[in-house]
Amino acid sequence: MEFKNNHIAVVGLFCFAFFLIITIFCPLLAPFDPNMQQIGDLLIPPAWDLNGGISHLFGTDALGRDLLSRIIYGCRMTFGISLLLVLIAMLLGVSLGALAGMSTGFRSSVLNHTLDSIQAIPTLLIAIIIIAILGPGLVNSMWAIALALIPQFVHQTRDFVRRELSKEYIMAAKLDGASQLHIFARSIFPNMGEMLVVQATLALSVSILDISALGFLKLGAQAPSSELGAMLLEGIEVAYIAPWTIALPGGALFMMMISINLVGDGLRSALRNRLLH
Amino acid sequence: MSNVLFRYTNLILVTLFILSLLSFLLAYLFPGQAIENLTGLRIDELTELQSSQIKYAVDGNMFIQYWHYMSELFAGNWGVSFSSGLPLYEDVSYYLPASIELSAYALFLSFFIGLPLGFLAALRHHRLTDYSLLSISLLGYSVPVFWLALISILVFSLQLGWFPLSGRISLVFEIPKITGFILIDILLSDSIDKHAALIDAVRHLILPTFSIAIVTTTLILRITRRSVIETLNSEFILAAYARGLTPRQVLMRHGVRNALIPILPLLAMQFPTLLTNAMIVESIFSWPGIGNWLIQAIYQQDYPAIRAGMLAVSALVVVFTMSIDLSIRLTDPKRRRVERVAI
Repeated sequence: MEFKNNHIAVVGLFCFAFFLIITIFCPLLAPFDPNMQQIGDLLIPPAWDLNGGISHLFGTDALGRDLLSRIIYGCRMTFGISLLLVLIAMLLGVSLGALAGMSTGFRSSVLNHTLDSIQAIPTLLIAIIIIAILGPGLVNSMWAIALALIPQFVHQTRDFVRRELSKEYIMAAKLDGASQLHIFARSIFPNMGEMLVVQATLALSVSILDISALGFLKLGAQAPSSELGAMLLEGIEVAYIAPWTIALPGGALFMMMISINLVGDGLRSALRNRLLH
Repeated sequence: MSNVLFRYTNLILVTLFILSLLSFLLAYLFPGQAIENLTGLRIDELTELQSSQIKYAVDGNMFIQYWHYMSELFAGNWGVSFSSGLPLYEDVSYYLPASIELSAYALFLSFFIGLPLGFLAALRHHRLTDYSLLSISLLGYSVPVFWLALISILVFSLQLGWFPLSGRISLVFEIPKITGFILIDILLSDSIDKHAALIDAVRHLILPTFSIAIVTTTLILRITRRSVIETLNSEFILAAYARGLTPRQVLMRHGVRNALIPILPLLAMQFPTLLTNAMIVESIFSWPGIGNWLIQAIYQQDYPAIRAGMLAVSALVVVFTMSIDLSIRLTDPKRRRVERVAI
């Protein structure tokens, strides 16, 4: 309810849905094959430029590939992969966090300290190490980002479980003789949904930035792929004569981030306001 | 208090121990021979050295190897790089200060802009100023930092020609390395044209610093705003008003200090983000920092360099965040009490 009254956040939600639709239906939406090279049409400016043509709405890049199709496919890669990664990280993080929250004493202390030190290391550094072990590539960079996303889910879940455990309804369940597993599955987990959604939007924006940053640094998705970061890297070579080859993919990335952050902000403030009242 | 100090020293030591163990194990995880990855010397060079009566502890078990690795590490003997053949310790001590310098200026700049704006937004809560600042900050932390850096190069370096494209200082100036921080080194050096060198170094600094600072500034702005709003809604502020203080007095005497306390630990948590951004920006601007160096090391599959760089950077981050945590714990009595209850 609170969320609906926040008009900007609703706009963000529509943008988010738009990117989701692009991700799912991109083969139907893209006018060209993203890797098809048209030798006659190198570096055509976008349609709103004087020299642009209507057949290539966003122009073409240095190899004559249609930029609109590449951006649509790029959104699919960057956005879709990030969604997948967040889901994986959430699954692992919540189960680890539940374990850390429910256990006490030495075991929980070891788990907490290990997680704290992992969280202190920059994501890019973790990614660099994993890529050094496995070699560069999209799948390997995905592992790295998933690993870097897990700790925050663990933290949030653990703190949430700790908070809930001290409440009275849990005490009631305990008095009824519920086991640890039963308490978590039946009493705590159903209350976690909102916290998880908020955390997932945060993780989604982090993971999109990381995927594209690694692609940009040639550590993630490799050159012919239409991942947005890798596209930016390709655009650098012709950036001076064809600025649209870096402006447009980056703009798409920017839009994606804004929509996710708008939704996340709206959800967070809605949740906070409800807790206050 | 000594109890807290002891616990934190303990924690830092344990974490550093885990990190060093990890860096040792990395030599086994990386492709190639572990001994090559540890020393940076190729296997045929090693056998040559071994025949010239230098002993290696390769034959012992893992624990003995680790022990020797650590003693070499503390002796400043970190091995050599595959690609350049230079000692890694000197490489790291050359590149790390450049990164620290860049991040420090960016952090300082973001504090300088973010804190006052955060206060302004909070004091104008739910008014036009607040909303516009929030919207701008949303844009600020949504922008991908490498894209921002590219666009700023395109606009300010190539189109307008205001700032240099890359590097740390023009090659005309030869600054001897004393501390590793370029501005301090220029001031310390007795080069002929100190003034011109300083201006040139600052011109090189501006674009990368701003690219990094934008994200951090918006984060600081939001954290400050939230903290101030929460402080101003608490009961002791109401009590202060009831005592007849003016809004200005309330803010100065009770608001500012209480609002600033919870900000610091949150900021310490942003340090890894800052460093990640700095590493990306460095590689775009060819800034001779540790991030650029590490990324080059990956391209060249320079495993000893990755191992040493990883250890240096993560140790730096851990020590930095933990000392901030410690100083907060020591100075803020409220937090200590809460923690005791929690334990």
